[in-house]
Amino acid sequence: MDKNSISQHISRQYNTELEDIRNKVMSMGGLVEQQVADAVRSLVEGDERLADVVVNNDYKVNAMEVAIDEECNVILARRQPTAGDLRLLVAVIKTITDLERIGDEAERIARMAMHISDKSQVDRFHGRIEHLGELAGKMLKGSLNTFARMDAEMAVEVWREDLKLDKEYDGIMRQLITLMMEDNRSIPSALDTMWAARSLERIGDRARNICEYVIYLVRGKDVRHTSLEQMEAEARSKPSS
Amino acid sequence: MTTNRSIGNWFKSGTPWIWLNAAAVSASMIMVVGLLALIAVRGLAHFWPATVYEFDYLQPDGQQQRIIGEVHDSEIVTRGRIEASGVEVPGDALEVERLLVKTGNRDLVGLDFRWLLEPRVQDRDTPADIMVVERYEWGNFYGFLVSVKQEGRVVASGDAAWQALQERLARATELQHRIEDIEKGRIGDINYAMEKLRLERRRLELEGRDTPDNLAAIETRRERLQDDYEVLQQQLGELYGQLRRDSFLATVMDGREVEVPLAKVVRVYRPNAMGPVDKIGFYFAKLWEFVSDEPREANTEGGIFPAIFGTVIMVILMSVVVTPFGVIAAVYLREYAKQGPLTRTIRIAVNNLAGVPSIVYGVFGLGFFVYFLGGSIDDLFFPEAQPAPTFGTPGIFWASLTLALLTLPVVIVATEEGLSRIPSTIREGSLALGATKAETLWRTVLPMASPAMMTGLILAVARAAGEVAPLMLVGVVKLAPSLPVDGNPPFVHLERKFMHLGFHIYDVGFQSPNVEAARPLVYATALLLVVVIVVLNIAAIAIRNRLREQFKAYDQG
Amino acid sequence: MNEQTKTHAIDPHLVERREVLDISREDICIEVQALDLYYGQSQALKQITMSIPRNRVTAYIGPSGCGKSTLLRCFNRMNDLVDGVRIEGSIRLDGDDIYSRSTNVADLRRRVGMVFQKPNPFPKSIYENVAYGLRLQGVTSRRTLDEVVERSLRGAALWDEVKDRLHESAMGLSGGQQQRLVIARAIAIEPEVILLDEPASALDPISTLKIEELIYELKSKYTIVIVTHNMQQAARVSDYTAFMYLGELIEFGDTNTIFTNPTQKMTEDYITGRYG
Repeated sequence: MDKNSISQHISRQYNTELEDIRNKVMSMGGLVEQQVADAVRSLVEGDERLADVVVNNDYKVNAMEVAIDEECNVILARRQPTAGDLRLLVAVIKTITDLERIGDEAERIARMAMHISDKSQVDRFHGRIEHLGELAGKMLKGSLNTFARMDAEMAVEVWREDLKLDKEYDGIMRQLITLMMEDNRSIPSALDTMWAARSLERIGDRARNICEYVIYLVRGKDVRHTSLEQMEAEARSKPSS
Repeated sequence: MTTNRSIGNWFKSGTPWIWLNAAAVSASMIMVVGLLALIAVRGLAHFWPATVYEFDYLQPDGQQQRIIGEVHDSEIVTRGRIEASGVEVPGDALEVERLLVKTGNRDLVGLDFRWLLEPRVQDRDTPADIMVVERYEWGNFYGFLVSVKQEGRVVASGDAAWQALQERLARATELQHRIEDIEKGRIGDINYAMEKLRLERRRLELEGRDTPDNLAAIETRRERLQDDYEVLQQQLGELYGQLRRDSFLATVMDGREVEVPLAKVVRVYRPNAMGPVDKIGFYFAKLWEFVSDEPREANTEGGIFPAIFGTVIMVILMSVVVTPFGVIAAVYLREYAKQGPLTRTIRIAVNNLAGVPSIVYGVFGLGFFVYFLGGSIDDLFFPEAQPAPTFGTPGIFWASLTLALLTLPVVIVATEEGLSRIPSTIREGSLALGATKAETLWRTVLPMASPAMMTGLILAVARAAGEVAPLMLVGVVKLAPSLPVDGNPPFVHLERKFMHLGFHIYDVGFQSPNVEAARPLVYATALLLVVVIVVLNIAAIAIRNRLREQFKAYDQG
Repeated sequence: MNEQTKTHAIDPHLVERREVLDISREDICIEVQALDLYYGQSQALKQITMSIPRNRVTAYIGPSGCGKSTLLRCFNRMNDLVDGVRIEGSIRLDGDDIYSRSTNVADLRRRVGMVFQKPNPFPKSIYENVAYGLRLQGVTSRRTLDEVVERSLRGAALWDEVKDRLHESAMGLSGGQQQRLVIARAIAIEPEVILLDEPASALDPISTLKIEELIYELKSKYTIVIVTHNMQQAARVSDYTAFMYLGELIEFGDTNTIFTNPTQKMTEDYITGRYG
């Protein structure tokens, strides 16, 4: 399965439908990316108005998920896709679920940005949260690019980013725990920050999931719950279709 | 026990049936090939220039006799049979060979075939200068050339005579051609025109328009024709005079010298002196004469062209009549008629029609076509020729119609079969495009059924060309004065009688005054009949195959 | 282009839901009213009432013998050819009752073309096959014929494959090509409606897909009614689907609904393979 094979069906209508779905997934990805970036910025800069925008935009993400889902259903019912087409649809259905969840995480971060009471306490974490947000955003962008290009090897690269993200998250956690032990009053805002970090870490995990779907889509191999080495081997193997 | 079972298994395996089938096929093949081979050998050998022998034959009364002739046949017979016929057999062998020798010279000796007993043949020789002369009358002449005469005077003799004879014969043949041209061609045309005039005059009388003017006009035309005729007659007289100029003198086997006018000679040759190349050339010349010339001597000599021509024309006419009728009937039965007891009855009737003996058709043709239809036509359109019938007498048209009737069932059945094999999807496809039923039939169904129609026609032609019995009643004659198609308007003369190969065989073989001489011709004519039928069939099959190729559409499914 | 830095653009209209077909908003081409059809004593169609929208593909599905082909053949009166057929109720094409006395059947069939299960080209040249309908109408002008033949063959997506051998026999084409030729032959006389009676059932899968693609393209100009045994095919090509069972119309609706969420249990059982 590669990017071009989508447009090689005898039925041009089918080509259009598949292409359409892919474009919609990319658009949804773009929207979610924007949401994550805005949410992180609103948190870091304490911009409540921006946070408000993010919260209000989440319905769009949800609506897109529903729309794409429905379209996938119709294609499954009417076209009985097989092989690469089937994997594409399965990957799309899973990807949009993860994208929607990422959207939810972004909303959660934005809500946090709106009601973190004592911003001064966590100010010194802003740099780290921002960094974490950058890492998560990069992973998300990377996973969407992998999806757009249907590039399995790139997917492994993006997947590997998650290790860095996890490490950064662990660092933040340790610092926050230390902060909370030192200063009891900081616990509420530290917890909020912790939740935000946790959300960003989850975003990374979901971006990683998307990379796994891409490998499944391109190579036809399910690499979930396997070791990184095995995943790399699969990603580099000859395309199965 | 074991053997029984194995034989039982052998039977169960079906092998015996395969052998049986193979045997049946082989037997059929042998019979067909044998038949054709017999006809071919007997018929084709006739044209080969046979060696002419000079026998020294010891007569029962002890006299030596010279006998000259071709060995026509030989057989081994028992002594008893010969002695029973009162002939004494020398020696004591139980069986003797006897030879049938064609000695010709029927005008001199009365018999042109003789049986010779082999033991009595003292000596046989093949002198190179024995000459065979084919004549217009009295059959072959065998003898030794003595001299050539012109107006009674000897102009060449000895070795020079042969050369002179060849030259003068060429001249005589040329004259014969010119005479024939005038007699058959121009005088024939004049006679035809005169007959036309007579009928015209009679018609004027019948219609009451025989005014002096009209009659005078006819009379002038008649006189002009009469003048032409007299001129030709004079030319003919001169030509005949020139033709009678030459003759030759030859000795025959009993030593007599006989004078033969060249006017009576078709060709002379010395078979014993001919090399193989000459013989082959001679053979093909004879063969060509056989297929292209008219018969002579009560059909026992010459060619059979009118019979070939008549057969072919009759078959073509029959095809022209039977195809549209058969096809229209089949289309109606299959496509339009409501299928029910009535159509079933008609189908049964049509099929049974094919089983009616052909002579019955002949009787019907004579009664209905010739006397009733032909008589009515004569009354209506040819009153001037009465009481002589025009169409009210057997002729090629009635013969063709009768045979068309005879072969109609075959065409109907074959066409119906073809129509029923055309898939309904094709008809529906055409109807769905807005075609009416008739348009569908005409544009699609009939073309697709045309190979089947041709198959029917092939069967019809095969049957019609070989049919003789009904033709004897409705138009065939042993010798027709003119062909049914010629150069006189209206070119196709449907009312004329015609010659037919099948009838020719019967006539030559059984009605001929000289059966022995005619026998090879029977075989040759039979072979030719087979060839004509095969050619007609091959032509039809070729057309069918082309159509099939064109419309092969649904053979696969 | 540096994709790493570019954010994926948001296209707001993509959030909109898919267009939903609604029969009540369609322009109706054929209207069937309380149609009963009897073969002698047995009733083959029972009280069929439905509307076939213009420039849409309407598919009939159902088990063998459910009457879907019979109904299809009512639309161009092909059933007239069968003995003992009796029809009650009405079928209106653009408002005219096609079973009225004044209807000329040949004209009707010119307006309602039909393609059959088995490719049935005439044993003539490709050109003559396409020109057949026009020749029936008395068109002899070579230029007109040439034009129509080319246009029809292009319309049936066959032109490029056969343009160099127009005058060769149509029997030399493959099954799929033959079927497209038959479609070209049908559209050459510019009908309003094209009836397709299991047009791909005798074809291999690839030819089938080509025919389906062709059907999709033809619907912009013609109203298409297709009968098929293959419900996946109905799902792929049609806008509206009717499910018939034992001569009755069980359910009729837009194809998406029929194949994702049918209202009748019988329809669901049939399309999911639980029927019978």
